Amino acid sequence: MSNVLKNYLAAVRATLTAALTLQDFSSQVVERHNFPEVEVRGSKEVLLNALTISRNENERVFIEPSINSIRLSIKIKQADEIERILCHKFTRFMMGRAESFVVLRRKPIPGYDISFLITNTHSETMLKHKVVDFIIQFMEDVDKEISEMKLSLNARARTVAESYLSMFGS
Amino acid sequence: MSAPEVYNIAQVPITSHAFNANRSEVCVSLNSNEAQILGKQGSEWVAKETLSEHDKIITSIDWAPNSNRIVTASQDRNAYVWSQAPDPLTGQMIWKPTLVLLRINRAATYVRWSPNEDKFAVASGARAIAICSFDPESDWWVSKQLKKPIRSTVLSVDWHPNNVLLAAGSADMKARVFSAYIKDVDKKPQASVWGEKLPFNTVCGEYSSSSGGWVHAVGFSPSGDVLAFASHDSSITIVYPGAPAVITIKSMTLPYTTLVWTSEDSLVAAGHDCQPILFQGSETTGWKAVGSLDDTTAPKSSGGGRQSAVGRLNSAAFNTFRNADTRGQTSLPGMPGAGSGGESELMTVHQNTISTIRAHAGAPSQVTKVSTSGADGNLVIWTTNAVSGLVGRMSGLRM
Amino acid sequence: MILLEPHNTIIRTTVLEKIVKPSALDVQFVDFDGVRFHLSTPDSKTTLLLSMHIRCWNELVQYGALDVLKREYGSLLAATAEPDYNVSLEIDLNQAPPEGEQRDDFVRKLSLLKTNAVAAPFERAFKTQKQLEANPPPEGSQSELMAIHYRDEEAIYIQAASDRVTVFFSTVFREETDRIFGKVFLQEFVDARRLSALQNAPQVLYTNREPPLELRGVPGLTLSDDIGYVTFVLFPRHFTKPDVAEATITHIQLFRDYLHYHIKCSKAYMHSRMRARVSEFQKVLNRAKTEVATTERKTISGRTMQSR
Repeated sequence: MSNVLKNYLAAVRATLTAALTLQDFSSQVVERHNFPEVEVRGSKEVLLNALTISRNENERVFIEPSINSIRLSIKIKQADEIERILCHKFTRFMMGRAESFVVLRRKPIPGYDISFLITNTHSETMLKHKVVDFIIQFMEDVDKEISEMKLSLNARARTVAESYLSMFGS
Repeated sequence: MSAPEVYNIAQVPITSHAFNANRSEVCVSLNSNEAQILGKQGSEWVAKETLSEHDKIITSIDWAPNSNRIVTASQDRNAYVWSQAPDPLTGQMIWKPTLVLLRINRAATYVRWSPNEDKFAVASGARAIAICSFDPESDWWVSKQLKKPIRSTVLSVDWHPNNVLLAAGSADMKARVFSAYIKDVDKKPQASVWGEKLPFNTVCGEYSSSSGGWVHAVGFSPSGDVLAFASHDSSITIVYPGAPAVITIKSMTLPYTTLVWTSEDSLVAAGHDCQPILFQGSETTGWKAVGSLDDTTAPKSSGGGRQSAVGRLNSAAFNTFRNADTRGQTSLPGMPGAGSGGESELMTVHQNTISTIRAHAGAPSQVTKVSTSGADGNLVIWTTNAVSGLVGRMSGLRM
Repeated sequence: MILLEPHNTIIRTTVLEKIVKPSALDVQFVDFDGVRFHLSTPDSKTTLLLSMHIRCWNELVQYGALDVLKREYGSLLAATAEPDYNVSLEIDLNQAPPEGEQRDDFVRKLSLLKTNAVAAPFERAFKTQKQLEANPPPEGSQSELMAIHYRDEEAIYIQAASDRVTVFFSTVFREETDRIFGKVFLQEFVDARRLSALQNAPQVLYTNREPPLELRGVPGLTLSDDIGYVTFVLFPRHFTKPDVAEATITHIQLFRDYLHYHIKCSKAYMHSRMRARVSEFQKVLNRAKTEVATTERKTISGRTMQSR
């Protein structure tokens, strides 16, 4: 892992750990309801300043904390058309399985590829530091996975082209 | 140094806990709409009775030691006072609820009996605190509301020893001291550092920490002359109203959510950092964090209680394979967990946020033991003199 | 299996089987590009009728398909095709060659019915090239551009010149993933010729959206990002010798199917990869859960069992 990536992930880890200080908070707008405040944005004072951690212009993480929920959105590196489509396919595949990934949002917020919504319920039923581990590992592996998929696509294309054209040999 | 007593009550968060006077029973709420009375049997806490009247999550519990009454507050906007009475059928002593007329229209978030146990304060999301007292004529609890100048959900309250003053911390980033004087209940209070004439809803002080942040916990010192509050900017602020002096202790850790004074010059705070930290100081010397009550040098997670499986499938081999299947983990010794990400391990007794800390033993001015409960379902009793060197979160977290 | 087989396996296996043991039969099946086959025994157990329907039959006839089929199948070719089909072969199983190489050749020839039909315009183009080479045409004139609309929106265009035969494929990528994957593959086709071992392969050119110059003005071309044009430039060395010419025709016919087959394979591979990766992520997340994780149980129809 390059040093730059390490620093980037360390920054995300520290920020996320600090942001994951959630508590149960019943809505003060609607009676007997309990919403993720970061999504409804009903009470200004329980939202904290959102912040962006950016590795470069194509890779960044946007963290929006609030008193009982945080939203974390990731922009995944997409160097070209192939990575873009692979990334799109991958995130869509994952978001289609949002039910089993309880912290995954079904739709990313505009400008990002994938969003997570972690509420106080999640931080209560799961170990906070392991949730952070999950996010970090996701960020690490998703880049790796996409570049590996791209490599394998190129390798296959080459083999396919060569075997086809070699039939015209002689 | 004596090790803390750790009791794993549940696999779900303990929202609040309160012991009875002789510490033989504890009332806990396990993140649900029911509260449970647990009695100690050997080294285990066993459920004795369930208090179910609320229909939403119980947010706070307090147990009055002398009058032996429990008050519970819930997100369903109600509070109940529970007292023991004989069951008309069996003659056994059971807990009977009495509804309190709170007249709030949002969740009740926090509740505390006053020192004399003739009043209690219910903090709420309705930007108000209900001060409840018993009306013997109509035989129910009536409330009077503190409203001004609260602008957001009140997160915690604490009573002054004089039974009149009340400190409140709220999400509008302020800690305030109010007068909760009720004419029919209270005698005229003596003048204190907080003020002389104290009609109901007098604001005796309004404070915020240097960089702001929701005030998670407030607490009066044993004498009542000093106020401490913990806010979301990871600081503890100590207020000496006489001087007046405000001392803010900033820390590098995660925010504290709960605190308790252990003597006139020390307090213990705990929260998202998962360990109770002892602070000491005075108006003249200033305040600092002395150390953690938790010994964070050895890993304590994956302790026995955590992996409790049920029934006939509870065998080591089964668990090994199931963990490999669902978690990609190998529990064989000497094999690090799968996955390249590097597993982090919390080295604290509590594995999740500590939500409540209470004095457990000793006089208010000389607390020797404190009890904590948290989102990891553990109830822990700590001795306050067992302080290990201060290790922040970063050293407590081993990669 | 990287390469596709040019012959139709169903015809091959069925005919081989029936020669050994004739019995009543009536099967319909399809091949690439929507070609339909019908194999039946209408009159007697020993007379097989093999009929084929091909979308571009009229175009193929125009370019001499009947001549090619007559040459290849001779008397087997039925005078009139079965209704709903374009061409029929009548095979008398009693007259099938004896077991061994001869019979294999015979059956193989039958199973190449589609290939042979589509071969007609290629053969014609190769002939035209020879003529043009012998009598160079006046400068600027172009020989006939043969179009074979073998699929609804896709076509093969063949044009002969004095020194070469150019084959154009227009192919549609239905969705964006196909388009991007297709681009990667086609780029490799273009690049692969740089390898010294493949110097003799036909030159491959690829354009997206814009048709090549030679096709400008051809009616019915839709301008869309989804359409790609692949050009193969065949030189005399690819078709001068009859056996080489036959191999060339066979391979080039299958190009479109080959390309799309591999695009789909890649997509399937990506999908299985994602499945594996996502289940890895699931495991990492499960480590955070404090309660004992219960594995999801599914019924055979895929519904999730839930305890209520």
